[in-house]
Amino acid sequence: MARTISYREALNEALAQEMERDESVIVLGEDNAGGAGSPGEDDAWGGVLGVTKGLYHRFPGRVLDTPISESAFVGAAIGAATSGLRPVAELMFIDFMGVCFDQIFNQAAKFRYMFGGKAKTPVVIRTMYGAGLRAAAQHSQALYPIFTHIPGLKVVVPSSPYEAKGLMIQSIRDDDPVIFCEHKAMYDVTGEVPEDSYTIPFGEAGVVRDGDDVTIVAIGRMVSVAEEAAKQLADSGVEAEIIDPRTTSPLDTETILESVENTGRLVVVDEATPRCNLATDISALVAKEAFGSLRAPIEMVTAPHTPVPFSDALEDLYIPDAQRVANAVKTVVEWKR
Amino acid sequence: MTDTLSTAVSHELDGNALLDAYRTMRTIRAFEERVHAEFATGEIPGFVHLYAGEEASATGVCVHLDDRDAIASTHRGHGHCIAKGVDVKAMMAEIYGRRTGSCHGKGGSMHIADLSKGMLGANGIVGGGPPLICGTALAAKQKGTGGVGVAFFGDGASNQGTTLEALNLASVWQLPAIFVAENNGYAEATSSTWSVAADNIADRAAGFGMPGVIVDGFDFFAVHEAAAEAIQRAREGGGPTLIEVKFTRYFGHFEGDQQTYRADEVANAREHLDCLKRFRTRVTETGQVEAAQLDAVDAQVTDLIDAAVEEAKAAPKPTAADLETDVYIEY
Amino acid sequence: MTSDTVTVGVVANPASGRDIRRLVAQASVFPTAEKANMVQRLLTAFASVGVTRALLSTDLGGISAAVLRASRARRPGRDGAWPDVVFCADDAITGTALDTTNAVRRMVADGARLIVCLGGDGTARVAAAACGDVPLLALSTGTNNAFPRMREATVAGLAGGLVATGAVAAETGTRRATVLHVGTADRGETALVDVCASRSRHIGSRALWHPETLTELFCTFAEPDGIGLSSVAGQLCPSPRDEPDGVALTLAPPEHARWVVHAPIAPGLVVPVGVDAWRPLPVGEPVEIGLRGGVIAVDGERELELTGSETATVRLCAEGPRCVDVSAVLAEASANGLLCTENHVAQRKERQR
Repeated sequence: MARTISYREALNEALAQEMERDESVIVLGEDNAGGAGSPGEDDAWGGVLGVTKGLYHRFPGRVLDTPISESAFVGAAIGAATSGLRPVAELMFIDFMGVCFDQIFNQAAKFRYMFGGKAKTPVVIRTMYGAGLRAAAQHSQALYPIFTHIPGLKVVVPSSPYEAKGLMIQSIRDDDPVIFCEHKAMYDVTGEVPEDSYTIPFGEAGVVRDGDDVTIVAIGRMVSVAEEAAKQLADSGVEAEIIDPRTTSPLDTETILESVENTGRLVVVDEATPRCNLATDISALVAKEAFGSLRAPIEMVTAPHTPVPFSDALEDLYIPDAQRVANAVKTVVEWKR
Repeated sequence: MTDTLSTAVSHELDGNALLDAYRTMRTIRAFEERVHAEFATGEIPGFVHLYAGEEASATGVCVHLDDRDAIASTHRGHGHCIAKGVDVKAMMAEIYGRRTGSCHGKGGSMHIADLSKGMLGANGIVGGGPPLICGTALAAKQKGTGGVGVAFFGDGASNQGTTLEALNLASVWQLPAIFVAENNGYAEATSSTWSVAADNIADRAAGFGMPGVIVDGFDFFAVHEAAAEAIQRAREGGGPTLIEVKFTRYFGHFEGDQQTYRADEVANAREHLDCLKRFRTRVTETGQVEAAQLDAVDAQVTDLIDAAVEEAKAAPKPTAADLETDVYIEY
Repeated sequence: MTSDTVTVGVVANPASGRDIRRLVAQASVFPTAEKANMVQRLLTAFASVGVTRALLSTDLGGISAAVLRASRARRPGRDGAWPDVVFCADDAITGTALDTTNAVRRMVADGARLIVCLGGDGTARVAAAACGDVPLLALSTGTNNAFPRMREATVAGLAGGLVATGAVAAETGTRRATVLHVGTADRGETALVDVCASRSRHIGSRALWHPETLTELFCTFAEPDGIGLSSVAGQLCPSPRDEPDGVALTLAPPEHARWVVHAPIAPGLVVPVGVDAWRPLPVGEPVEIGLRGGVIAVDGERELELTGSETATVRLCAEGPRCVDVSAVLAEASANGLLCTENHVAQRKERQR
């Protein structure tokens, strides 16, 4: 039965249900058990995001605090995954990948290929991305394109509480290494989520809204921005189809191409900076595979090619919003040769 | 009063175990010397880093390990692979880039692995292995297998943050992990006396709250004894240990290295310190093993390596159909 | 070099204090940085009592490098004076005990009037064999230190310096130690503290920590508050340092032995050691060790591997190194006011007032 819970609760429920189902699932990360060695209550925090709260007492010995030592504990999660555990490691901010990237992209991502198909590394690295909390340049980036670039990694960018739960359960059960990107401005977003366990398969985009005039492909939190724009556009008679890829690797190219073949127009909304991001990737795909269907040049709505600014006046300009999406849609709809 | 050696000291090996250890060391030496020779003919592609001279380390440690235990290796990984039981013929085929190789020709010298043997891979990234070993040790601890994780790394990796972070985490979590710092004196061409501040890697152990010891890496028995204590301690819940093994590698950093940074230490080591020579002298003098038994092992190893090279050369290379497979388990 | 030159030598072993006893027990850790600090403390003390030239050993373990860096970084006027520092760099470094031997020989040949060695029993043993009649000051930076004392290096440096300059006569400030010679037909070793036979077959990691493997023990001296194998005798049948006799013990598994001594055979390791018999060991008496094969340990480290039929003989010898007695030297200094001067100017002012 479905009920309304938050993105944070949905993730917590997914972790709890999988830990219940499978003893080999463990959770580790900074302050995940509440801050080991501190005089306060164990599980006080449940991670700085509160996502793991309540798991420490429920699953004794399976929720581990780590030092602030990302190379060591992300590497340990990867090593443990090769040795029969299914670790879920919390890399607090995606920006911190800079201090542990080797373990992710040279080790976990490559084991299976380098070792001739004889390795299995079922690790999930949960991490928080995105701008909007005035967290400035080193705590706000949308770096999922970097992970998407690496063969061997799967990259998940859930856009709602429903997606968060189903994709998390799928991530834990998946035998490949998964980078699970949670938008930090979405933890309190609520939505309908079934109580029972369920999975959302990777590489299957969700069609969030049907429409015939334009295809909007939006990543992660940008899905809700696109929905807001679509409502505005509907008032002026433009019906947008919104596609949520859910996973950037693997990418459901088929659903995107089918939609563009129908609408003839594409807008991609990506919170990442504009060079080599999902917007350019999806645009290139469509330009190559569905060029004949396009009735207008593709529009990309992204962050500017800058670090994320701190001041609200600047950050609000940085993040793609519904107005920019609507403007982009108008540009493609009104385009004349 | 004449006493005899009837009471065996704990950790001491019987004749068969000594022969096994000798076979492992001899196989590593013969493998590496053959790869060295074959590389010079141009038939072996890519980057190859040879372990000759360091055999007592991999052997002295891995002789205590079983399938519960995992090791992580380095770019100089052939010796660790052989000591942990990876198939020698498959290794040779891998180095030749053949489909019959340990990794179907997709990994090469720097990535030979066999997870079924607990061999987590040679590793092309200096300092890549120690964090991974925290993970295998954590898995062993969580599952209660009694297994341990062993990270082999070099003097170069001893300065990497990954290694130092792993030492800290292993101590914080009291993991059944053993860190074996193989100090062969040079990280590529840079002397460890310059690059390792305070010079002894073992000194760093105290800063992480674990025992740190230095052993003579040319002496199988010294490594064997220290590893026995560290591994037993780890299995019994005593936590991690750092063992610094000091020795000299016989070949360059990579095959083709002109080694202009070294003086004549290799010739001296080969002549006076060599682990195989010392092992042979010692076990025959004590009467634990007959020289003829060791000679027989030498002959068998030569045959094995000959066959491995012959089969590798004759084996097929991977094909276009193999290019895009094995990136993911499920696509 | 003028006739006023007073030269001393300091040899520091970079390898001491790092063996397996840090793993099988909780032996102390002596990092390179601390050894280098000790050398610097010695230099400061030497200069203050008139030593003008210090010969220092070189090593690849980082000690000499750290002292060299420190010597270059000294600030005139703020840091105390040092003697002229000369590094002995003529011999190739082997990374073995030979480095200590070579350095001490060079220092003696170059006129050193004192040899200070930083290390454990093993280092002191090697230095003692090479220093001849030059006074030896052994400072502990090792594991199992029955011979070198745990002494603050500045204080020890003052004492050593006073002997080197002749301010305290060698007869007053030094004591002749006894040593044990142990040898086979073609190999030999010298021990400052003890010789022990073990059924262990290999030198391995050198240290001894399995008492059940030990068969015979010979000590030059045995103090009740000693550490290491001599502590077994120290508790059962002590033999003072300043008496020439040593002591010989026959060991046995504790379950069959006549006595069981709970002895600190290594730092952090108090274990039952079985003893069947003991007797005083007079100087000069050769004793054949009963064990065939096995290993002979000197000063707690396995050194000689015996082949299957080989035997070894032990003999206590009175002609050991002349060792600086820090307490005696400084007591003499105190009695003669060697470190005190009278300030006549201040006294004159006092009188005028």
